[in-house]
Amino acid sequence: MNEQALITDAQGGSLDAFNTLVLHYQDSVFNTALRILGDEDQAADASQEAFISAFKSIVSFRGGSFKGWLMRTVTNACYDELRRKKRRPTTPLEPDTDDGEEMDSPRWLADPNMTPAQQIEADEVEHAIQHCLNNLPLEFKTVVVMADIQGMDYTEVAAAVRVPLGTIKSRLARARLRLRECLQGFAELLPASYRLDDGIKAS
Amino acid sequence: MKPRDLELLSTYLDGQLSPSDSTRLETRLKTDPELDSVLTDLRAARTLLRKLPARKAPRNFTLTRKMVGQNPPLPRTYPWFRFASALATLLFFFSFGVNTVGRQMASQAQTFGMGGGGGNTSEESPELFSAQAPAAAATEAPALELAPAPTLMPTEVADAARIVDTPTAKTIGGAENAVAQDQLQVQKEAPSPTPLIPSIWQTALAVIAVGGALFMVLVRQISARRWK
Repeated sequence: MNEQALITDAQGGSLDAFNTLVLHYQDSVFNTALRILGDEDQAADASQEAFISAFKSIVSFRGGSFKGWLMRTVTNACYDELRRKKRRPTTPLEPDTDDGEEMDSPRWLADPNMTPAQQIEADEVEHAIQHCLNNLPLEFKTVVVMADIQGMDYTEVAAAVRVPLGTIKSRLARARLRLRECLQGFAELLPASYRLDDGIKAS
Repeated sequence: MKPRDLELLSTYLDGQLSPSDSTRLETRLKTDPELDSVLTDLRAARTLLRKLPARKAPRNFTLTRKMVGQNPPLPRTYPWFRFASALATLLFFFSFGVNTVGRQMASQAQTFGMGGGGGNTSEESPELFSAQAPAAAATEAPALELAPAPTLMPTEVADAARIVDTPTAKTIGGAENAVAQDQLQVQKEAPSPTPLIPSIWQTALAVIAVGGALFMVLVRQISARRWK
């Protein structure tokens, strides 16, 4: 995929070129929205809004990291979604278990390549991390999602969030520390393969 | 833990610290167990975040032309048709308004002219004057016909009695009723005021408005079909 050529065509109004970029980045954009918002439906809405907004303003893209530029767009869409959510709070409709209780990790989202035990482990660790992410202030959450989940470097994150590099470093350090403190509360719940100590050895 | 140290540790973890700062920090880490403990915590958190499974987008977020408000290209003449149709519609309704107001003004003028007791009606309304003229003539005519009546000879009384039954005599007898009826008839037969905007113009405007609108719908449909 020649990204620059596609961007140039999209800037000329080619929707097909832009849609090729959408297909390439949609998973990253959706994951970022999901981790910031913590809700699938809202994340899907924010992602769609982000791509519409990105197409309309792609003329203003002046080079640099296109992924970073897209991440800024999706972050703004997430902020809009959060503001909307604050104005009109809703109750999510989770499928119920046989006992009539809400299912935190619906089975219809399960990865078919995992065994049921692995799926449960993955669900639990994901639930714990998402819970801790949700407790972070928005500006910390945005930085940590971009740097640690999306794997963007400091410069890209700084460009996407439009804050100085020093602020990114500071927010990331504090966000990681807060996450560590929060996740310690889940230490016993996390399966052995996800224990923090094992992670340290693995890294 | 100082915020500055926390930031140094996090940056060191990502390999973004300068070589000299890294060496200095590594020396401190060997001697400061608290610093080392925080580094362990930060590394653990980062490792766990990186283990977070990446979700696939639940659907494709590709855009349609409708989503981004792109419309099919229309012919260059399209705006002219739109303008002509809009203008014709406007003028069509305006012509109705003008004709209605004109008719109301004419009927008001008539009403004031017929009921006005004292004013010189002929000056106020020439139409009314011409309408009253035959009525006046109708009242004068029977008077002229009455004139020879007293000159009848006694021998002709029988004839005169017959004359009473003639249509002329009847006219004389019902002179007042006839005047009133004539006036009513004149009023009814008086030509209604001519509309200021002729109906042919209104028809033409309606045709332009409706035709233009139909043309625009057709052009839009053809353009959308070609665009797809």
